[in-house]
Amino acid sequence: MSRFSRSISWLENLLFFWCGLTLILLIGGESLAVPAWLQVAGRLHPLILHFPIVLLIMAVVLLWLGEDQWEKMGRIILLIGANFAGITVVAGLILATEDYEGEALSWHKWLGVLSLGFSVLIYFFIKKLQNSLRLIGSLLAIMLLLTGHFGANLTHGEDFLLAPLLTKEVKTVALEDAEVFRDLVQPIFETKCISCHKEGKIKGELRMDHLEGIQKGGKSGPFILAGNPDQSLLIQRIHLPLENEEHMPPKNKLQLTDDELDILRFWVASGASFEQKVLELSQEEPLFQLASNRFSTEKAYTFEAADSDQIEKLNNFFRKVKPVFPGSPALEVAYFGSSTFDPNALSDLKKVKDQVVKINLNRMPLEEVDLSFLSDFQNLEEIQLNFTGITSAHLKGLSKIKSLRSLAVSGNPLGESGMEELKNLTQVKRLYLWQSGLSADAKNGLKKSLPNTQIDFGFDDQGIIYPLNPPKIDFEEVMFKEKAEVKLSHPIRTVEIRYTLDGSEPDSIRSPVYSQPIALTKTAQIRAKAFAQGWIGSEESKTLLFKEGLKPLSYKLANEPHNRYKAKGATSLFDGVKGKANHTSGDWLGFTDSPMEIEIFLENNQKPKSVELSLLLHEGAYIFPPESVEIWTGSAGKWSKVEIPAPIPPTKIEEVRFGLLAYSLPEGSIDQLRVRLKPIASLPKWHPGAGAKGWVFVDEIVLY
Amino acid sequence: MEKELLEQGLNHNRRKFLSRLSLGIGSVALGSLLIPDLFSGKKEAEDSLMRALPHFAPKAKRIIYLFQNGAPSQLETFDYKPLLRTNFGQELPDSIRMGQRLTGMTAGQSSFPLVGSYFDFNQYGQSRAWISSLFPHIASVVDDLCIVKSMHTEAINHDPALTFFQTGAQVGNRPSMGAWLSYGLGSENENLPAFCVLLSRGKGNGQGVYSKLWSNGFLDAKHQGVQFSNSEDPVLYLSDPNGMTRDQRRKMLDQLAAMNDLNYREFNDPQITTKVQQYEMAFRMQTAVPEITDVTKEPDSVVKLYGPDCLVPGTYAANCLLARKLSENGVRFVQLYHQGWDAHDNLPNQMIGQAKDVDQASAALITDLKQRGLLDETLVIWGGEFGRTNYCQGKIAPENYGRDHHPRAFSIFMAGGGVKSGMVYGETDDFGYNITENPVHVHDFQATVMHLMGIDHEKLTYKHLGRRYRLTDVHGHVVKDLIA
Repeated sequence: MSRFSRSISWLENLLFFWCGLTLILLIGGESLAVPAWLQVAGRLHPLILHFPIVLLIMAVVLLWLGEDQWEKMGRIILLIGANFAGITVVAGLILATEDYEGEALSWHKWLGVLSLGFSVLIYFFIKKLQNSLRLIGSLLAIMLLLTGHFGANLTHGEDFLLAPLLTKEVKTVALEDAEVFRDLVQPIFETKCISCHKEGKIKGELRMDHLEGIQKGGKSGPFILAGNPDQSLLIQRIHLPLENEEHMPPKNKLQLTDDELDILRFWVASGASFEQKVLELSQEEPLFQLASNRFSTEKAYTFEAADSDQIEKLNNFFRKVKPVFPGSPALEVAYFGSSTFDPNALSDLKKVKDQVVKINLNRMPLEEVDLSFLSDFQNLEEIQLNFTGITSAHLKGLSKIKSLRSLAVSGNPLGESGMEELKNLTQVKRLYLWQSGLSADAKNGLKKSLPNTQIDFGFDDQGIIYPLNPPKIDFEEVMFKEKAEVKLSHPIRTVEIRYTLDGSEPDSIRSPVYSQPIALTKTAQIRAKAFAQGWIGSEESKTLLFKEGLKPLSYKLANEPHNRYKAKGATSLFDGVKGKANHTSGDWLGFTDSPMEIEIFLENNQKPKSVELSLLLHEGAYIFPPESVEIWTGSAGKWSKVEIPAPIPPTKIEEVRFGLLAYSLPEGSIDQLRVRLKPIASLPKWHPGAGAKGWVFVDEIVLY
Repeated sequence: MEKELLEQGLNHNRRKFLSRLSLGIGSVALGSLLIPDLFSGKKEAEDSLMRALPHFAPKAKRIIYLFQNGAPSQLETFDYKPLLRTNFGQELPDSIRMGQRLTGMTAGQSSFPLVGSYFDFNQYGQSRAWISSLFPHIASVVDDLCIVKSMHTEAINHDPALTFFQTGAQVGNRPSMGAWLSYGLGSENENLPAFCVLLSRGKGNGQGVYSKLWSNGFLDAKHQGVQFSNSEDPVLYLSDPNGMTRDQRRKMLDQLAAMNDLNYREFNDPQITTKVQQYEMAFRMQTAVPEITDVTKEPDSVVKLYGPDCLVPGTYAANCLLARKLSENGVRFVQLYHQGWDAHDNLPNQMIGQAKDVDQASAALITDLKQRGLLDETLVIWGGEFGRTNYCQGKIAPENYGRDHHPRAFSIFMAGGGVKSGMVYGETDDFGYNITENPVHVHDFQATVMHLMGIDHEKLTYKHLGRRYRLTDVHGHVVKDLIA
């Protein structure tokens, strides 16, 4: 006997050994006490099972070829494969005593055993089967594949193979359709209970695969007591500790999650109804809370999605067309940037008319645009048309959109005729009508015509009266050469701005109304206030604008300004550059210990008529008007004092601002001028720094 | 044998090779069907991320976050604790304080006398929520609010607490909430940044805001918050210099883009493309921003709604109005900060001023969004970085007292955007010191906000320095009770 034939006969013997072992295990499997080491052997099953599948199928193919040479080789491979099949079956039977049961298991088990039997039969009776070898071989191959399939179902779950094809069928339940029992409770039963409590496998005499079974209960009687979860067997069992024999689902099965435990408990507590809808529950009920988290509030759309290239083409910087979320066929459209709005491009949307559920055209200029094409958009649910200038004519046709739920048309002059159109929109659930030019009667009428619609008329400003903000004064420079242009503006369009240039306070009756930019040709103080119907007149805003004066020959300060506020010395006073409203800006000359005294030398023909002193005033920073002002004119060495009134002292602390002291000069030729400003020596009693020295700040001296 | 080898060799001729090659090409073509974008040249990573977001249908599309910087006291706003008035001046029991750490400002204080709100409380709306008399306007929209009285945080000082709220970490190197949303969802309107920041300041004791709060952290720079200022130029460096026409700018950008493209071809650095895109967006912003910041197009009644302050640039009211306009135009996240809530002393006076600044405009924003049908898709959040102590800091009198920082319980509110309306969530003990019911941690709050925007906070991550980061770090649970 060659070594080859010795091995063959040894393998053949082994085959009988496996078959015998299989027989024993099949008969006594239920009562088998598996020691730990054998359990390990059993768990080798998932590894070894691949060998018989490959080897046996290979053998079948070789036998199929029919040529002598191949058949010989096929028989040897069949022998080795059958041995592996034996090992696999034995290991599988041992493994089966662990936590496996169910239909898939028995199919897998018996098909596996059958495959083993077939392979053994083919091996020993190959000569007799010569005629039907191909047929029987194919049968074996099919059995092997089926065994493998059921085995895979056991480990990976049922429908493992076809799951990728089936998932698309899964329907999401919308909250509004959801029923408590059908969509909340029953799915739990189906996944966690029914495998043991159903026709054919009625454990504890309880059937949970049909309604009567659930209502009837099992061996221990009814297991659901409506309204009484603590007494209900169902709730008791699922809350027992895991180790308890009575605990359901049994220890080795998939357990209920916390949410599922809660759902079952609250369902029983709320009366264990079989018909109730989720929306019929009160919002505060915990069951509703649990349910609302489980169901999508999204509507499931049944229409076809648009072509994604098509959608892509509709997008640009000013129009966004996007699915409401990835994967949804529903589209929402939004327009941005009213200045770039192209009304002709609106009709592009017809390409996706069946998919658009929401369109946002807020603030787009639609006065002249025909919106009637929207009535073809049969799935449109929400339209936003706030502040688009549309009128009642634009609303025609919207009543044809049956799915329309929300319409926002705030800020449009719809008027009474618009109301007639709105009355037809009975399908709309929410209507936004702020600032739509509707009278109180019209509003009430509309509410009556649309009892099921939530209408928001928005904020009503009736009876609310606020003071207006002061107007804004715009100009180029504080100091101007020949003339200046002053613009007044206010952010509220309906206001009337009244102003004065003569220093008097503007009022709402006599002062001129601002309509176009004011042209100034001389130094002036502009004071302006805003007035409007339904508002309290504004505080005034005011500003001083200076016309540039004469250029003197030369000038000389008698006293140096304070060390910290020297600007560029006396030149700063005649440079035509107005300082900013801040004494530290470097444009201002500040005096406190000594008066400001300056001598100005003039040409003969200059003959100034007046002198103006531009001051900074800021009581909080101790900056006051001078206590006294002296002006002297000199002609050929002869000085004479000009009679002028003393500056009016302030009476309270105000914001930082510019001040102006203007004085006329006597007629006649002047070649010299002396100006002397004395800072306040002792601040008045009302001031926090009462008694301290005040400051005088000057940035320009202007001669005309 | 040799003959066979020869035949075998002859069989491998060019014709055979080519005909077999066709099979190979066919298999490549077949395989490529499985990877649709293999040859399209798109950037795979970013695209696939964007395709997957939001993770589910969002309830809110946009957020306006009214951050009350400096921490307004919950005890003078939404958390009504009459016991603190009755027990005026009594010591805070140790059983309540439970070893809570103190700030440096009250650590040296020998006693912790309780002090109640100087302001009266009333119940409002159908929700019967308690609101102090400081906030009459907010009280008038109470049925639109979802008030959370059980917020708690980990930090006890302003900067870390603010940073924690905004970025999910107390150290300032992470992206801000707005940056995360910009990264995850992008901008609705490509002519404006996805994340805008508006600052205002009340007269109360203020705490700084720093640009790290709206930083992009390790995310691409385009996700950084863009600060709008109250000057003539709301967005700095946006307007063209005098004398430059729009055509010239266009030409200049085209030339620049061409040069950048050359660079890109050489180095393939995606930062270059980002840069070009940013230039282009700035160009479009030049028309979009003036359109939005122009308040003259608003009807008069809007001014009456927000109060006349809304016409004064830089005020909280003006920022609220601007926030509504930005949000309405598709800006994903508008972040406001109003400074001045840090009332360590003189609290009643400071609160009056601060409340005057924010009460009307905050309520107006909610009303305004609502009357345009936008509140459903816009989430408004109002709140500070922590709460304030129930005991007095410094000198105590019923009408003049101060409160220190308190991280263990404070109140915020949200409105619109898929949160429940007319709801008061969570409860604190009678001392207003500890949470007794439904605590909401800052990370929970962040997870909930992300959830409302359609984002699973555990899935929006960014890999940086070898680790995947997210806004909620490794914490946070969506508070489903708050979601409508």
